[in-house]
Amino acid sequence: MTASALEFKPESANSLMKEVMERSGQNLTACYQCRRCAAGCPVGEETGFVTPDRLIRMVAFGDREQALNNQLVWKCVSCYTCGTRCPNDIQTARITETIKKMSKEAHLEALNHKVAHFHKSFIDAGLGRGRINEMSFMTSYEIKNTIKEIKKLNFKNIYRELKQQSKLGLSMVKLKRMHFGFQSAKGRKELKRLYKMKDKIRG
Amino acid sequence: MDIAYYPGCSLHASSSLYDVQSRRIFSEIGIYLKEIEDWNCCGATSAGKVDDLLAVAMPARNLGIVENAGFSEMVIPCSACYSRTLVAQKVLDEAPALKEDINAELSKKIRGKIKVSSILEVLLTAVASGELAEKVTQKLKGLKPVCYYGCLLTRFPQTVSVPDDVENPQGMEKILKVLGVNAIDWSYKTDCCGASAAVNDEETGLKLMASIMGDAVAREANCFVTTCPMCQMNMDAYQERFCEKYDIPQRLPVYFITELIGVAMGISPGELQIDRHFVESTRLLKELNLV
Repeated sequence: MTASALEFKPESANSLMKEVMERSGQNLTACYQCRRCAAGCPVGEETGFVTPDRLIRMVAFGDREQALNNQLVWKCVSCYTCGTRCPNDIQTARITETIKKMSKEAHLEALNHKVAHFHKSFIDAGLGRGRINEMSFMTSYEIKNTIKEIKKLNFKNIYRELKQQSKLGLSMVKLKRMHFGFQSAKGRKELKRLYKMKDKIRG
Repeated sequence: MDIAYYPGCSLHASSSLYDVQSRRIFSEIGIYLKEIEDWNCCGATSAGKVDDLLAVAMPARNLGIVENAGFSEMVIPCSACYSRTLVAQKVLDEAPALKEDINAELSKKIRGKIKVSSILEVLLTAVASGELAEKVTQKLKGLKPVCYYGCLLTRFPQTVSVPDDVENPQGMEKILKVLGVNAIDWSYKTDCCGASAAVNDEETGLKLMASIMGDAVAREANCFVTTCPMCQMNMDAYQERFCEKYDIPQRLPVYFITELIGVAMGISPGELQIDRHFVESTRLLKELNLV
């Protein structure tokens, strides 16, 4: 997504800024646009117009649509380089992480659905059994991807993905790096209870 | 000395060689890893993107288990698990209400704080005390490694105090010195391998990995050394693909720091499971007469 200029939307600027700041725990008002974050971003070449500093600007301008729907949010690899180098201690990766959740709550389509599927499947697996079982986690992830591609009638992608994953899987089996056993933690019940009552938890 | 040990999911599955090596070399220097009971997944980097409560609650339960087992320190070899656990402890410390609410559901409650240590921190105590040097039976002559730290060992989503330099960490280099190795200085030691991007955003992942490989090759390294199972897996399992795509003719083994320590201690490659790498990794050690 590209944009020529950011548009100031006073009516939404306040509420968007407040929400992102509260949920990410980052003080966005401290950003003075020095762009050290942009200089260090390893995916900077992939994100087009949107760099961490500009994402902060979009939020400050109240441009909800662009802030919630851009490549940086989905390309960000959470390497935390931007935040480590920020002279004002703003961890922009926490902002992209927060916006991923906000975009899901707003029922927006993820710009890279595989990223969304991956993290959802990972947490479902980790919480569901208490520990990650790589095989079942990856199966759940690939099923989500496949369904998405079937809906788009993109059979070439399905073939490519399954071919590559089975190739990797086979070499893992050969090196005994594929784990066929099953691991779990009994205490997952405690975590599931906490997750169920998450709206009541103070934080 | 006994120390609490959190292996995390990958050390019990695809990177179980790292678990075997860690236990073995630590016992050699008199440190016994006591795996904590019924530990759960830390949520890794996914939790922060899916649910902020889980990002804290998942490691919190493990912290409660360690504390109630009477340990004051826990070592976590996986960088993602280490990062998540360290950060969760910091968040809980600063938010008493959150801590109280999470504690209410935990059978093993968090009361105080423990020291959450990376594998390098614990190994460096053995460097300082001279215990590691005592167990080294052969110097690893001819090895020209680049130390690859990746992201999560030095950079955190919260301000936490870490014992190494953020931009130019030296922990692995110090350990390698004891093994008789001068690591090669390079520019990509804390660069990102893309982590899960290898799976969910392939083009980005392969590009990041190829740049890391490119610098290692340009500096004439003959192997990588790392502590992170995610970095190890990516740089090893995808090496054939990113090298092909970006026309890099060389292939480099990606060792865990624990296997190089093991080799220097004279432990056999079989016991260290060095044959479980994607890129052939025993050959170099044989050529250098190290095994």
